[in-house]
Amino acid sequence: MDIRKIIHVDMDCFYAAIEIRDNPQLETKPVAVGGAADRRGVLCTCNYEARKFGIHSAMATAYAMRLCPDLIVLPVNMQKYKSVSQQIQAMFFDYTDLVEPLSLDEAFLDVSTSMHCNGSASLIARELRQRIHSDLGLSASAGISVNKFLAKLASDWKKPNGQFVIRPEEIEEFMLGLPVKKIFGVGKATASKLAEFNIETCADLQAKPYAWLNEHFGRFGHQLYFLSRGQDEREVSTSYQRKSLSVENTFMQDIDDESELQSVLIRLHQELLRRMHGLSPGLKGSIKTVFVKIKYADFQQSSTQHSARDATLTVFQLLLRKKRKQDARAVRLLGIGVQFSTDDAEAFVQQEMDFNLEL
Amino acid sequence: MKFSTPRDAILRPLQLVSGVVEKRQTLPILSNVLLELNQDGLKVTATDLEMEVIARSEVDQSMPGKITVPVRKLQDTCKTLPDDAILNFELKENKAVIKSGKTRFTLTTMPAEEFPVIDTKKSVFEFQIQQNSLKRLIEKTQFAMAIQDVRYYLNGLLVEAENNKLRAVATDGHRLALCDVSADIQTSEKVQVIIPRKGILELSRLLEDNDEPVNVVIGENYFRVVFKNVIFTTKLIDGKYPNYEGVIPTGGDKVMYADRNILRQCLIRTSILSNEKYRGIRLDISNNTLIAKANNPEQEEAEDEVTVSYDNDALAIGFNVNYLTDAISAVDTEQVRVIFSDSNGSALVKPFEDEDCLYVVMPMRL
Repeated sequence: MDIRKIIHVDMDCFYAAIEIRDNPQLETKPVAVGGAADRRGVLCTCNYEARKFGIHSAMATAYAMRLCPDLIVLPVNMQKYKSVSQQIQAMFFDYTDLVEPLSLDEAFLDVSTSMHCNGSASLIARELRQRIHSDLGLSASAGISVNKFLAKLASDWKKPNGQFVIRPEEIEEFMLGLPVKKIFGVGKATASKLAEFNIETCADLQAKPYAWLNEHFGRFGHQLYFLSRGQDEREVSTSYQRKSLSVENTFMQDIDDESELQSVLIRLHQELLRRMHGLSPGLKGSIKTVFVKIKYADFQQSSTQHSARDATLTVFQLLLRKKRKQDARAVRLLGIGVQFSTDDAEAFVQQEMDFNLEL
Repeated sequence: MKFSTPRDAILRPLQLVSGVVEKRQTLPILSNVLLELNQDGLKVTATDLEMEVIARSEVDQSMPGKITVPVRKLQDTCKTLPDDAILNFELKENKAVIKSGKTRFTLTTMPAEEFPVIDTKKSVFEFQIQQNSLKRLIEKTQFAMAIQDVRYYLNGLLVEAENNKLRAVATDGHRLALCDVSADIQTSEKVQVIIPRKGILELSRLLEDNDEPVNVVIGENYFRVVFKNVIFTTKLIDGKYPNYEGVIPTGGDKVMYADRNILRQCLIRTSILSNEKYRGIRLDISNNTLIAKANNPEQEEAEDEVTVSYDNDALAIGFNVNYLTDAISAVDTEQVRVIFSDSNGSALVKPFEDEDCLYVVMPMRL
């Protein structure tokens, strides 16, 4: 196979950067976007000024305020971010049709066959970043390499407002020194399991045979084997397919009353149905599982799921009951959702009996 | 406590009850069987708290008593002795001593008083039924029970008793199985109980294919079957079974008759190349011909054709091949009758002309 040229474009603190652009006085101050502390909100993003205090995205706002009392927390204006994101995406399509947005502020571009900038991916990335800066007043970082995994690693290397290339001949050396937690999918749990086997870097991982990884990590072992060698065959997939839809609610006060939780569940279910109404019929028909997610007062999170084709209230009620039977601690956050089948091979969709269940 | 017995007179009851005992136990005494010896003979009891099996046996007793001993060790000991061995059991200082010829085993025990028994006071009503009828009822339906479904009431078999009729229903929401047998039942109102899955599997192991009668006792919270030498008891699933009658299709007009075995073989062959996880197959039925098609993610394809009796509008419909094969296998007439309505409607599988059992299989959307 020919060597591919993949660019990963990652906007620098996207939401915060937009807010600061629209209100330049904020530029030198620690700024974050997210839910308010007194509503038990969580930060979506923050600027580098705020990061100096150890603040990061997904941190509870109240906690961030303790780290940095002067932190300016702005409410989320999703509509605005979406429209900026669309402007950026439009630029991507000037260079290639193979664009895979990961979220509002991140995308993969496959420029293997692009004729722009003499076919140089580095120059395309530079030009894109300049245009984003001059047209939109925002800064972006970019990573360039032969596959998605390496491109994403590279974009993180010279952040913010920088770009980095990992050339084919550099991959081997680059991977050897890479810590395992940089691998996509290796979180705390996997990292500590790997550490038990004295695996800290990708070099350590590479030393393990395929069968060994498969035995200890199952299907993920397969990925570890190839990713640790910098190999990733995944295509830049242009048709974004929604994988799940969920709604959740963080309570003003923790709830441990079962009937109160059940009534929250009913409201969440109505909201879920309302959101599902907007989806394409094909997607709505491809529900694979339904799930209930609970975060306890100590932030410990747990979820339970059930295979189902329909998001009926009954199944959510049963799932919640089952969960509560196992653990009746006070709940900070309750969420419910559906996962869609993304398996293309699954041309057949099993139909469910309709029992007109009543509880 | 002391008795002496030919090996089989104790091995047989142990084999009958030991299926109940879970391999892993949180409560140590649940790994034991209760042995009770009195003038009626030896009574062996095993339980998992949800279900209990008691087996009786004749032994030469010399001193009555009761005690619990580890079931696996006792059973393995008996099993590995020679067929014609005579076994002497004696309780000595809280140890069970088993002697046979030059073999001597000493097993730990726990007091009989600590052995949990299922409370079975409130009997609602009782009736007699032939063993093979009850066995048939279970065999024709049990495969459709749900497994660890969050709708816990589906993880069991619905048993319905009404005048002169006993019915079983199982469904997992994708397919449903229903079977009726005649039984000598007199009741003013229909009685419905849900028997847990594990109990059904155990009961079907105990039931034999003969026409000896057994006594069925339905209690407020338990279901009991009394055999000549065995008493099986299980607690019930406390829940409301869904309205199963509502999902049995009534309006289907497209009737297909097929040789059960030929159709079954066709489905089994085709299934080899269906998606291993989702098991989808497509059936194209028209002009007395059924074509089954399947393909898998590797792009391999299967196509198989059988002659059937069908002269209605052409129909294309998808199924999980396992569900369809289960249903067709459960029919015991040579010819099977399948009634369709359309591509989106469920299929009704029945024997050639009998109405004593039926299977509903929901389609897969193509």
